[in-house]
Amino acid sequence: MKKILGILLILVLVSTTVFAAGTKEETGKDVTLSVLWFNDANEDEIFLNTIDDYLQANPHVKLDMQIVAYSEYDQKLKLMISGGNPPDVARITTNTLSVVVDSLEPIDNHVADIEAVKAQFLPSMVAFASNTKGEFVAYPTEATANGMLINKSAFDKAGIDVDEVSKDWTWSEWESIVKQVVAANPEMKYGLTVDFTPHRFSTLMYQFGGHFLNKDQSNMEFNNPGTIAAIKWFKHVHDAGLVPKSVWLGSENPAELFQAGLVAGHIGGSWNINTYNKNVTDFEWKAVRMPKAEINSSVPGGKFIASFKGSKNQEEAFKLMEAFADKAHNEMYSRDTFNIPSRVDAQVTYPSNSDDFEVFLEELKVTPAFTANEWKNTNLSKVTTYIREQIVEVLLGNISAEEAVTNVDKKGATYFK
Amino acid sequence: MNKQKVYNTIHYVLLIVLALATLLPVLWVVLSSFKPQSELFRVPLTFLPQKWTLQNYVSSLQAGNFPVYFSNTVFVAVVSTFITVMVNLMAGYALAKYIFKGRNLIFTIMIATLMIPLQVIMIPIFLQLKNFGMLNSLWGIIIPPAATPTGVFLARQYLVNLPDSLIEAARIDGAKEYSIFFRIILPMSKPIVATIAIFSFMWRWNDYLWPLIVITDNKKQTIQQALANFVGQLQINWSDLLAMTTIAIIPVIIVFLAFQRFFFSGIAAGSVKG
Amino acid sequence: MKQHTKGNFHQTAAPLLFLLPNILIFGLFIIVPAIQGLRMSFTEWGVFTTPRFIGFANFVELAQDTVFWKTFSNTIVYSLFTVSLIMVYALALALLLYKNTIKGEKIFRSLFYIPSLLSMITVGIAWRFILGDEMGIINYLLRQSGGSGIPWLTDGNLAMVSIIGVSIWAQAGYYMIILIAGLQAIPLELYEAATIDGASTTKTFTAITLPLLRSTLLVVMVLSTIASFKAYELISVMTKGGPGYATKLIVQQVYQVAFLEDRMGYASAMSIVLMLIISIFTLVQFKFTGKEQDYE
Repeated sequence: MKKILGILLILVLVSTTVFAAGTKEETGKDVTLSVLWFNDANEDEIFLNTIDDYLQANPHVKLDMQIVAYSEYDQKLKLMISGGNPPDVARITTNTLSVVVDSLEPIDNHVADIEAVKAQFLPSMVAFASNTKGEFVAYPTEATANGMLINKSAFDKAGIDVDEVSKDWTWSEWESIVKQVVAANPEMKYGLTVDFTPHRFSTLMYQFGGHFLNKDQSNMEFNNPGTIAAIKWFKHVHDAGLVPKSVWLGSENPAELFQAGLVAGHIGGSWNINTYNKNVTDFEWKAVRMPKAEINSSVPGGKFIASFKGSKNQEEAFKLMEAFADKAHNEMYSRDTFNIPSRVDAQVTYPSNSDDFEVFLEELKVTPAFTANEWKNTNLSKVTTYIREQIVEVLLGNISAEEAVTNVDKKGATYFK
Repeated sequence: MNKQKVYNTIHYVLLIVLALATLLPVLWVVLSSFKPQSELFRVPLTFLPQKWTLQNYVSSLQAGNFPVYFSNTVFVAVVSTFITVMVNLMAGYALAKYIFKGRNLIFTIMIATLMIPLQVIMIPIFLQLKNFGMLNSLWGIIIPPAATPTGVFLARQYLVNLPDSLIEAARIDGAKEYSIFFRIILPMSKPIVATIAIFSFMWRWNDYLWPLIVITDNKKQTIQQALANFVGQLQINWSDLLAMTTIAIIPVIIVFLAFQRFFFSGIAAGSVKG
Repeated sequence: MKQHTKGNFHQTAAPLLFLLPNILIFGLFIIVPAIQGLRMSFTEWGVFTTPRFIGFANFVELAQDTVFWKTFSNTIVYSLFTVSLIMVYALALALLLYKNTIKGEKIFRSLFYIPSLLSMITVGIAWRFILGDEMGIINYLLRQSGGSGIPWLTDGNLAMVSIIGVSIWAQAGYYMIILIAGLQAIPLELYEAATIDGASTTKTFTAITLPLLRSTLLVVMVLSTIASFKAYELISVMTKGGPGYATKLIVQQVYQVAFLEDRMGYASAMSIVLMLIISIFTLVQFKFTGKEQDYE
């Protein structure tokens, strides 16, 4: 009997420690805000640096930074929301927005004049952060744009004035020009590399006059002449050896290829400026306007901060976010992370590369508004990985572009029912 | 005699070639952690660093919470190993040395669950942990993986071969069951304890999915999570990643070297008789 | 030999109490979620929506899902080759290192074991640097000596070869250790008798070594099969399942459907099928080696 009791006692002790994974009690006015975050470089440090004055002025507020790897960010957030304990504040990308938009606490409920607030930010950012009821659910922080960065030294060596030719060029013109560049530079092998994401591909798609969804975003319409042309062109440049196969087929990293001097151009984005500043020491590089097919276009994107329905410390969360999104803080954060600010009234003086930022801003200005509406669509976000896979199937020569777009529409339609 | 010498030489050469092929990738990772990031992607690629630097180590150790991740992972690995060894040994003992109804069934179910990929039950596990309040707690990654079927399997196989006579003699002397376990079985199980300990330490140290499901709080993350955090949405922080990877390998190697002697005899007894 | 219960209280209660902690943890955190998973496979369920019971609809859809069947065949191919090659390679290494006759044998054993100590993410990262098309070391060396690069990770078939190769590299040491233990347990007298009888090395191997190694080989086969069906991190880091669908295994598809396409019910159905496949494989292996699990 005794030994049974002994064992039971041990088990009880073990189980009580299990249950003792306690929660912290907030005492008095002190508030600790949980902040979910992911990093590309060191944005968390810059965030803390930027918001430091607010924290000094509000000593009862503490921040609990929770960093999660980007590849798992959406899943983690979903788990937390469905588990009933969302963070107080989270850094949100446009991708993530489309996934969690209905769980975000509208800013409308926390400010007096929502229209005045919305007017402070870039229209595309506001479009992204509006839910189906028209409520504004996230504060824009940095805006991003896709664009083209080129190896200027390589163009110089080929005797081409890249600023001149890129003023208003088409993709066909680009093709003959870049062939000369590759020929003039023995170490260089390719003309262009594109990030292995549907988002970056859509830059090309929009330029060829294509789209993902129909006019009012109520159903898939990937099967359209512009999209098909873009996919076919993408295959053509791969087959012609102008674009390295190892990126879209082998998941090699395009930025690394650019840094190694193997490609003349990289369709990446404004965020690459920071990295290239640090890592590229062997040649000159800069941002230039992208060629057009039907139209000029980039793809809008950016990051936001938001709070959730059911977050524990909503009042303080909103005060923090409002401060972080104001002019002074937005300027400082954008400057230090080398990003485009999301506020229309922000004047950022970058320590360097202001010309490059100008180029990206120009691209954003000519980007049609419907692109934002597509990229914030929740149903589309569920199909984007499949879209990427189907494009790869075309690149591999397994199916035709027409078959690919038909497959995508078929699969996507099930989400729009 | 010459034939023997030739054979020996071939034997050695073969081993050395294979060992090199086996270790070169690891060496490459370690050496690259001492290169500045700009050198990593320069063509021509280098094996040995052109410019040795400790910058990566300095920045990743400073960058945040590294000592915290390290101590979290040590805590999790050590405590979980302790629990695993005890729980698995007891379970293995029950399955090896007693007959009771349902014994086969329990054993079969345990082995069968080895086949369930963790991704499959990730969400239900998450909900279960939430019910028990173990979310975002190190206990959430210590306790659930502790009942590993592999450990029970190895323990059982080993204990089956221990002579019953000792146990019977102790019973005749009036010893209680738990006393038999702690005073006779446990001391005789050193090899299998070492084996399970090495495996458990290694599994918990390298765990990625479990902490991913359970932990969000930055201060409670483990090393593997920290490594994954260096892979951003738009780019990868290679220099910090390589330095941390190198540091993360060291403890596992130490544990392995320390327990090695018991390791071989433990697996031997655990898997040979079957 | 087994212990016989004498029908008294201690003997019946004791084993169950020894088992209890294990069963408790196991039941709560593996069995219950697994049953939940089974239930989920009969529903349509997104993370933010309530589950909707749809009977066998998921399984019907699965039968026509070409992507799923592609991952299915990839998984079979990957497992078959990985398991058989690991066994051959691990056995070869074990045969080289079990006799305790070579200087530095213990060191060699540890060296071969080191890859098993690394996390799969580390392994994936290291090998991406080696096998990368443009930036990889191997192709760089090939190009330096006048050749051209090999599309290790960019060609569908080569990518499969690559991940199989890397998996073998990463795990062989672990199984080598198990096999060494098994080899060392074979009594020397048997070999001596065989030499006296004038048996050739091959005959000794097939007539003595292999049969006595059978249960160890079975353990290695079962463990490596199960591990191969679960290979996730390595492939995610090295190829992301590409190019296209070439190296995508069922586990990757499960994750994508569950989390990216937000269909947990459908993903659960896929997992059920995966588990059935694993079970069949394992059962076949047991029968094939003519040895059932020792249950007496």
